[in-house]
Amino acid sequence: MRNPVGWAALTAFSLAFFAFIYAPLFVIIGYSFNSNPVNMMIWEHFTFDWYTGLLGLSDRTTDVSNRAAYVESTDQMLAALRTSLTVALFTTTISTVIGTATAIALARYRFRLRGFYNGFLMLPMMMPDIVLGIGLLIFFVTIGMNLSMLTIIIGHCTFLTSYVFIIVQARIAGIDPALEEASADLGASEWVTLRKVLLPQLAPGILGGALLAFVISMDDLVITYFVSGTGDTTLPVFIFGMIRRGVKPEINAIATLIILASVVIAALGLWLRSRKTD
Amino acid sequence: MAPRRQSVVLGLLLAPVTLFLGIFFLLPLCIIAVFSLLSPGLYGGVEWSFYHWNYGRIFGWADGIIEIFEPIYLQILWRSLSFAALTVVLTLILCYPVAFWVSRLSERWRLVFMFLITLPFFSSLIVRLYAWLLILKPTGLFNTVLLSLGVISEPLEILYTPTAVVLGMVYVMVPFMFLPLYAAVDNLDRAQVEASLDLGANRVQTFLKVVLPQTLPGIMGGAVIVFIPSVGNFVVPDVLGGAKGLMIGNLVEQQFLSARNWPFGSALSMIIMAVVLTVLLISVTRARKAGGHA
Amino acid sequence: MAPLLEIREARRTFVTPEGGRLAALDGVSLDVGANEFVTLLGPSGCGKTTLLRAISGFETLDSGTMRLDGADLTALPPFRRPVNTVFQSYALFGHMTVARNVGYALEVAGLGRAGREARVAEALEKVGLAGMGARRPGQLSGGQRQRVALARAIIAKPRLLLLDEPLSALDRNLRQQMQLELKTLQHSLGIAFIFVTHDQEEALTMSDRIVVMRAGRIEQIGTPRDIYRRPKNRFVAEFIGETNLFPVTVDRVEGAEALARTAEGMELRLPAHGRRSGEQLTAILRPADFALSATGIPGRVTRAVYLGSDLYIFVAPQAGGPEIRVIARDGAGIEEGATVHLAHDPARVHVLEAA
Repeated sequence: MRNPVGWAALTAFSLAFFAFIYAPLFVIIGYSFNSNPVNMMIWEHFTFDWYTGLLGLSDRTTDVSNRAAYVESTDQMLAALRTSLTVALFTTTISTVIGTATAIALARYRFRLRGFYNGFLMLPMMMPDIVLGIGLLIFFVTIGMNLSMLTIIIGHCTFLTSYVFIIVQARIAGIDPALEEASADLGASEWVTLRKVLLPQLAPGILGGALLAFVISMDDLVITYFVSGTGDTTLPVFIFGMIRRGVKPEINAIATLIILASVVIAALGLWLRSRKTD
Repeated sequence: MAPRRQSVVLGLLLAPVTLFLGIFFLLPLCIIAVFSLLSPGLYGGVEWSFYHWNYGRIFGWADGIIEIFEPIYLQILWRSLSFAALTVVLTLILCYPVAFWVSRLSERWRLVFMFLITLPFFSSLIVRLYAWLLILKPTGLFNTVLLSLGVISEPLEILYTPTAVVLGMVYVMVPFMFLPLYAAVDNLDRAQVEASLDLGANRVQTFLKVVLPQTLPGIMGGAVIVFIPSVGNFVVPDVLGGAKGLMIGNLVEQQFLSARNWPFGSALSMIIMAVVLTVLLISVTRARKAGGHA
Repeated sequence: MAPLLEIREARRTFVTPEGGRLAALDGVSLDVGANEFVTLLGPSGCGKTTLLRAISGFETLDSGTMRLDGADLTALPPFRRPVNTVFQSYALFGHMTVARNVGYALEVAGLGRAGREARVAEALEKVGLAGMGARRPGQLSGGQRQRVALARAIIAKPRLLLLDEPLSALDRNLRQQMQLELKTLQHSLGIAFIFVTHDQEEALTMSDRIVVMRAGRIEQIGTPRDIYRRPKNRFVAEFIGETNLFPVTVDRVEGAEALARTAEGMELRLPAHGRRSGEQLTAILRPADFALSATGIPGRVTRAVYLGSDLYIFVAPQAGGPEIRVIARDGAGIEEGATVHLAHDPARVHVLEAA
């Protein structure tokens, strides 16, 4: 039973809501093709200049950037991207392994501290990242460790492990333990059962957790901001810096590319999830 | 299900997370606590002597010589709490109707819109905030449209005001509020809604007496998930807030990276932690109490 | 006396996910009296639930009229119709006590707490749950929850009570007990009940009238006796109770009786009633209409099922053809393989009007 007037109002509200969510993204995409470097609201003409400038394929720089004493070279941006990817790769691997191991432990074993571990693993997700970032900064400095890519990786893993844990835990809840019991019954040791029976079934969940960890790691700003050394910048921190120093048209191009990448990854995640149901 | 007893494998499975989180999560938090009670060194760094004046600066006891009480810190704390609360309320008002709408769509459309809701979550936070920077500045989209429509004669100053900060936080937090809300709304027993209408309650009464109480756990969950990151947020006020929108997160950042007063920064962090733990405690006890009902 | 509820040519069509059109209600017309216990009976998908929901207001009709006490019902939203429903899942408000559940209709009508208390107690008393007001639905058994749903639906004294398969979740004993209680309740309340079920036994037990439905249409309306004894067509005959169907050709007419034979040659006697030799028809005999005797249709017992008080036996006719189902009253000693003779009273034979 639907009240047509009420439903129409609700639909209008919801569509406006989605417009609100997506409008800013379209603004950026639009701006990135506007050749007007100063006032992006005034449309000059369509151009790919900012993109080609990014990739180092053109020499066009803006008066704005020339007048300002800074030069954001394409190299710096690409270096930041490389760092982001490297960090994300390591982080994803480590946090997926640890998170999955923990999820398996809590789901398949009964031990006294089980409830405690459950709660304990939620904490890193619940703590504001600024607290985590500060804590790690003090920690590293106090023990005399230099800030580097390693410290960034460690920082990401602290909370991403929890994310992976939750996803794998949810997946494990839907897996029939009888299969593992059958495996044991047929003579397989715990370790073998884990490898041959549980992990294969868990694979989609592990993959989903890994994907999530990768995305969040690529996007992390706050923790990275505090625990990265002067030599290493990740992409979000790099953009953050750029914004702080003033708005530049090249940022629009970078931002659009990032949006594009995220659409691809989200679609990938969706496709994976639709295949999961077998 | 037959959970197995302790074994070597269990130890192997749990060791990594125990070690890792123990060293890189618990230990740093403890260090913050310790540092908050230390004295700041003259040229940065710390002196290992007990020093409670960091808290004194914030909360009011100060001798006027070593440290001065500046009420601004409490003001900023209060501002952070109210911004976070406001963010919770606004995201709730925005997301609730939409959660309803999506849950009533056909299967196919539901998937489409759920995808659309989560997509921004994958897209970079800094990029999304940057977009608002572009929109809200005096020469930005918002002002340009209003000016050309003749609604205003001068650009509105929205950027670098508290309004911009709350707007930014709402925008960022919407996916976090939406998901638990949607789960709660989706789980609603439609038959109970029909029963309420059948017994003579109109739609408003049905909403207040049946729908709202039953979606309350989802609302509470969403509120917690939104409140905590909002309170300690520093990126949004940094990009959109300027001096008028300073929140406690910005203070922490300043103390650590500019003023180099780590003990004071730690004290501020402890306050954030205290707020977070309080909220968590309240929500856990509430959840436990509600679990007692059938 | 004008009927309480008048439905004329109700039609409702759904579009299936595959894009086809499904007629859930295909021209249904029905009258219900003010103090009647009417049952909508039929297999899944026959439209009985759709009809019920159309009456309560949760389904709209594409065409047709519905009048309650002469006033157009379709113009009113559910919360304004003097009709209440007992839902199949009971739909109790999980976050409220039993008392608040029961008193809900009064609460939303604006009645104060004091006024509600007395009536809630009265309603709980009527359904046998006195004193359970403080409990919560989660603490109750299925049968108790069913009663709360009932109390909740009758407290506002609706003109019409709709019950959507309310007993389907209960175990057999409880079910039979509740059938009796519902019937008694209906009498004492003096309001009309429309009861939906797919269980024909239940329908036969409780109803003043039964409405047999199939594929969106009404096949037959009548008292339980009518439906059982004189089903209009094969579907109704087979849906209600166990039955034996015999396609026969009339051999000859002898006085008050007509003799007919099945294709295999088995003989059946029917009332002569305008039967002509050579006529082909379908004859129906219920299992209870056969008796074991010394003469009659010869056959061999292929299966004997012990029913407690009776014996339900399957007899393969000597002449051939499908098994005949028989209830033997004093079936002591009848075993599989035994040869028996089935006698029947021709007057009990019912001839189907249509196939």
